[in-house]
Amino acid sequence: MEPIIFTSGLKKTFRIGKVDVPALRGVDLVVQEGEFAGIVGPSGCGKSTLLHVLGGLTPPTSGKVLVDGNDFSSMSDGDRTRFRRHKIGFVFQRFNLLPTLTARNNIAIAQHIQGNGFNPHRFQAIVEMLGIQDKLNHKPYALSGGEQQRVAIARAVICEPKILLADEPTGNLDSENSQIALNMLRGLNRSFRQTILMITHNPDAAAVADRVLRMRDGRMLLD
Amino acid sequence: MDTKMVIANLLHRPARTIISILAVGLEVGMVLLVVGMTTGMLNETSKRIEGVGADILVQPPGSSFLLGVTNAPMPIKIGDLLGQRVPHVLHVVPVLVMFNVSGGVNLVFGINLEQFKEVTGGFAYHAGGPFTGPNDILVDDLYARGNHLSVGKTVNLFNRSFRVAGIVEHGKGARLFIPLVTAEELSGTQDKASIFFVKCTDPGYIDDVVDGIRQVLPKYEVRSIPEYTSLYTSNNLPALDSFIAAMISVALGIGFLVIFLSMYTTITERTREIGILKSLGASKTYIMEVILREAGILCLVGILAGEAGTVVVRRLFETYFPTLYILLTPQWELYAALLAVAGALLGAAYPALRAASLDPVDALAYE
Repeated sequence: MEPIIFTSGLKKTFRIGKVDVPALRGVDLVVQEGEFAGIVGPSGCGKSTLLHVLGGLTPPTSGKVLVDGNDFSSMSDGDRTRFRRHKIGFVFQRFNLLPTLTARNNIAIAQHIQGNGFNPHRFQAIVEMLGIQDKLNHKPYALSGGEQQRVAIARAVICEPKILLADEPTGNLDSENSQIALNMLRGLNRSFRQTILMITHNPDAAAVADRVLRMRDGRMLLD
Repeated sequence: MDTKMVIANLLHRPARTIISILAVGLEVGMVLLVVGMTTGMLNETSKRIEGVGADILVQPPGSSFLLGVTNAPMPIKIGDLLGQRVPHVLHVVPVLVMFNVSGGVNLVFGINLEQFKEVTGGFAYHAGGPFTGPNDILVDDLYARGNHLSVGKTVNLFNRSFRVAGIVEHGKGARLFIPLVTAEELSGTQDKASIFFVKCTDPGYIDDVVDGIRQVLPKYEVRSIPEYTSLYTSNNLPALDSFIAAMISVALGIGFLVIFLSMYTTITERTREIGILKSLGASKTYIMEVILREAGILCLVGILAGEAGTVVVRRLFETYFPTLYILLTPQWELYAALLAVAGALLGAAYPALRAASLDPVDALAYE
């Protein structure tokens, strides 16, 4: 079966002033559909950059990047945006909820941007699974960190993305809420065969994944 | 959903929202008031000339159509000449027009009441009655209201005190009327007039009478009243169009700058939120639409505030300055709204483009 994520020799170099800073130095990665993969590595090893490239937020500098059969290295910014809208869900360390909207509208806006309209059945199923039914009319500032992350997870999966990319999802949570968030990701993976690629510097968090990959200095380390 | 987000964003910063709305309102109000006041005053003056009831106006050679600007008087006997030599002339009424600038700018008609009555049909008196002496003055009801005058009170004009003899219905040429002999004395002339109002035996003869007067007085300015009042437009007043254009440009500039600054600070403040929207797959068009819609709502509410504010200002003018007439027309209300929309769109365009072109990774990392 064709992997849902395939990278070969993926490089990403940032130009900072007059200096080229390589963030990814040739990443080879294969993730199968329905897999929950974790990537661990120290700060600055390129984990977040890898996630940004795989989510289409930034183009690769060189190398091959196939996500659900789409070659990111040959796609325009607009094409990657369209792809991301329909196929990718993001969960961030800092939750990244829109502060002026309620939890309900933070979730619904993803469906709105996708353009397929509001799906009440999907919405209900997700909010019930994440246990945020009674928080839907609250704005982010009135929610705890754990609740905000659950709303963020709901937003990320409401449009049934092919891939959920989680960037240090427990980084801003205490251990109890971290466990709840990880259980939810695990539940989504098991219940809906949601493909999840999670990066973390926390080995305990990575342990919930089916497979843990290690990164260092912009490269994947062999298991 | 977009609208919910846009409104939520606007409510998130109420002070900035209110200031932006007020600025657009100021822009709209400025346009409407400047245009309304100039066209209103011109319109009102021309209506007052029409209200005299004459068919033709005769002015000395080379005169401006603006009454009181040219003081070169004509011999009063010209009136008799016209009556005798031009067929279908019913009445010719001489008026010595004076321009008062003390305590306000006003035209003062020096008239012979009996003769003036022949053309106008006479004044309708709200209070008091005709002149009884050389230092009597008639004022119209709007002037009286604006200056808190009543019969018997004193009005100072041309370094002379006049007693208010009567308060008359407005709309008969000027707002202030003094006896013709007094006007002659004040202007140092004898048996002279600045203008003649001519009444024809029948309105159907107006063109014939105009031609007839032009034959008798070849170099004089002779116009039918409709032709004369048609000159009361901003195009015919030196620099007025330029003044209006300048004021509209200033208003447009205010709207543009405030919306620009408001939207620019908005996208700076919401850089991270724009990154979030991009991470959700929002296109550049979507981001631009959100910013432009926000500016559009500010603009729409600002237009309504400006138009409502202008109506309030006009009411206040009617109450406290009844002689200053502000003409609000649907046409200019539409133009002012379109100008505000243009200013807002121009002001929001660059911030919207900038927001749309933000790099999503940088935007998400924005602190």
